Amino acid sequence: MNGRIIGSLVFKDLVLYFKNRFFAFITILGLVFYILIYTLMPSSVDETLDLAFYAPTLPPVLQDELVTEGVDIARLDSEEALKQAVIDGDYPVGIVLPEDLMPTLAAGGRGQIRVYFNADFPEDLEDSYTILMEEVGYALSGRELNLDVTEEVLGIDRAGEQVPERDRMRPLFAVFLLMVETLGLASLISSEIVGGTIQALLVTPMTVTGLFAAKGIMGVGLAFAQGVIVMAATGGLATNAGIILLALFLGSLLVAGVAFLIASVANDLMSVMGYGIIIMLALTVPALGVLIPGAMSDWVRVVPSFYLVDTVHQVANLGASWGDVAGNMAILLAFSAVIAALGVFALKRRFQ
Amino acid sequence: MSVRRVGALLGKELAHGPRNFMFVFAILVPLVLTVVLSLLFGNLLSGKPKLGVVDQGASRLVALAEEVDSILVRTYDSTDALRGAVRAGAVDMGVVLPGTFDDVVMRGDLAQLTAYVWGESLLKDRIVLGSAIASLVRKVAGQDAPVEIVTATVGDGESVPWDRRIVPFVVLMAIILGGSMIPATSLVDEKVKRTLTALTITPASAGEVFLAKGLVGFIISVFVGIFTLVLNQSFGTKPGLLVLIMVMSAMLAAAFGVLLGVVMKDINTLFATIKGTGILIYAPAILYLFPGIPDWVGRIFPTFYMVDPVVEVTQRGGGWAEVTPELAILAVLIAAMMGLVMVVSRRRQMVPA
Repeated sequence: MNGRIIGSLVFKDLVLYFKNRFFAFITILGLVFYILIYTLMPSSVDETLDLAFYAPTLPPVLQDELVTEGVDIARLDSEEALKQAVIDGDYPVGIVLPEDLMPTLAAGGRGQIRVYFNADFPEDLEDSYTILMEEVGYALSGRELNLDVTEEVLGIDRAGEQVPERDRMRPLFAVFLLMVETLGLASLISSEIVGGTIQALLVTPMTVTGLFAAKGIMGVGLAFAQGVIVMAATGGLATNAGIILLALFLGSLLVAGVAFLIASVANDLMSVMGYGIIIMLALTVPALGVLIPGAMSDWVRVVPSFYLVDTVHQVANLGASWGDVAGNMAILLAFSAVIAALGVFALKRRFQ
Repeated sequence: MSVRRVGALLGKELAHGPRNFMFVFAILVPLVLTVVLSLLFGNLLSGKPKLGVVDQGASRLVALAEEVDSILVRTYDSTDALRGAVRAGAVDMGVVLPGTFDDVVMRGDLAQLTAYVWGESLLKDRIVLGSAIASLVRKVAGQDAPVEIVTATVGDGESVPWDRRIVPFVVLMAIILGGSMIPATSLVDEKVKRTLTALTITPASAGEVFLAKGLVGFIISVFVGIFTLVLNQSFGTKPGLLVLIMVMSAMLAAAFGVLLGVVMKDINTLFATIKGTGILIYAPAILYLFPGIPDWVGRIFPTFYMVDPVVEVTQRGGGWAEVTPELAILAVLIAAMMGLVMVVSRRRQMVPA
């Protein structure tokens, strides 16, 4: 393997890539859109219940209890104003505690609470408010529940400091970017096969290993650079950037190996896409586990990209350190090394 | 233009299509996506807090909890399984009901309950589940609520559940994948393999080849689009109008696909284009996921005029009168796209790469 020859080939491929203004523009456009999607998504999680009340006298017990439990209460001046605020969408739900509620409850009678829902409020979520108001009724009437609850929070308690959805999407962006470049790299190699330029190159001092090392460096480099740009622009490098960079590099190595494997079995460009999309979907699955917690069971750990996704999520979103993700990194390194080696081996077998 | 030659080319495309990856992909993806999304939005992304229960006896609380619309209930065999589910976020809160739970509650004695809370669960979900559990325990105890809750809906909006919001996206994907991707990849593939040159030295003209390729995309697009609507239970209202919308949408998609196939010199460039422009194509369907975004934003994108009539008919109960302006614009777009295809293909003289 000759470093100078490989360098020349990488340089030539990069120059060709960026000489194609359209290709370069589209690549940049893709990056801009990922960043735009991130920017447009909400930067915080609204995890409180917003309730508007009209109550001539809002019992202090109610206000104290609900506010401490994470309910935002707004008081309006009249029932009409409350209804209008709900219609205008200022509040999804408006609650009226009539003036005679407290006296009725105090006398042992049955009171009435009126609840107004905005028309676009999901119907099947309405009963959560009716249940909540029933409990308010019990609290106002002083009928305590004879129940002793022992509560245990599992995992870090993130109440009040939830990870926004857009940050949960960062691992998905990383995997997508890397995988799309896999298709690009596999296509590049495949086009060399279809065009017959590989055989032409192999009659020069270039070796098969050197040829694909050059293609690999180009593919890994492009994937890695795009991953770094998106991560940097979305704040993913704000904490422990070294871990994220290493994870992205190992991920790039992994996808380069995948690209080699695809190119070693694909006969034409369409079969590259056939194999590539299936593998891309499989490698994307772990990222969905971050977006939809609890949706995946432990089998997802057999997918190599899990260790990339989990590392990015743990570090960028939950502030994990080297020690926390060392296991992930070791497994990702092992997967990447094995798959890259298998890819090179498979390609060498095909062309020698 | 010979109808016989176009027919022969079309027959060849349809016969060889099933061996083509993109052909299979365009048919399968919308169908698989429909199934996956219905699973996802049916339960996983419903926005309802999830309660896990281990019932060590035969508590009525479980059955009562399953009747509550606003929460999802999952039962587990052991405390360990429940703790695992809570830790993974499969449920927001988990409770272990001791074997004597109902007896203790009904006697009015102090009942013990262990609740596991997922650290990442939202505060509002914890509140909803907490009040739901309290309410259920009171029901088991036979308590009557001291208040009557009277509910009313105000305003003229409409609640659109997620499983309905996602339908335009899936339908658009069905139309674009079939209508655009099949002709585009097929043309580029023929260019790369130089079989397009071979075709054009036969009596078949470039226009006939393009038309045949476009027709394949059109047929697949209409077929998969309608099938996707059927799968999503959205085809029943006005099938005639929906077929027309599908036909017009597929025409625009197929013309766009042929244009891509004519312009792109290789598969790399084609997929780079798709990668870069995909979000523009799917933007109206993505915007539809968020009803709060003003309608005019979506109107900027040409594919809006494919998506909006489908939404109007299947979800807003609209008819011919409501969709005619959008279909008129769609017709103009089809004419413009076809004109563009003709101009570009003439300029390039369909020279293969």
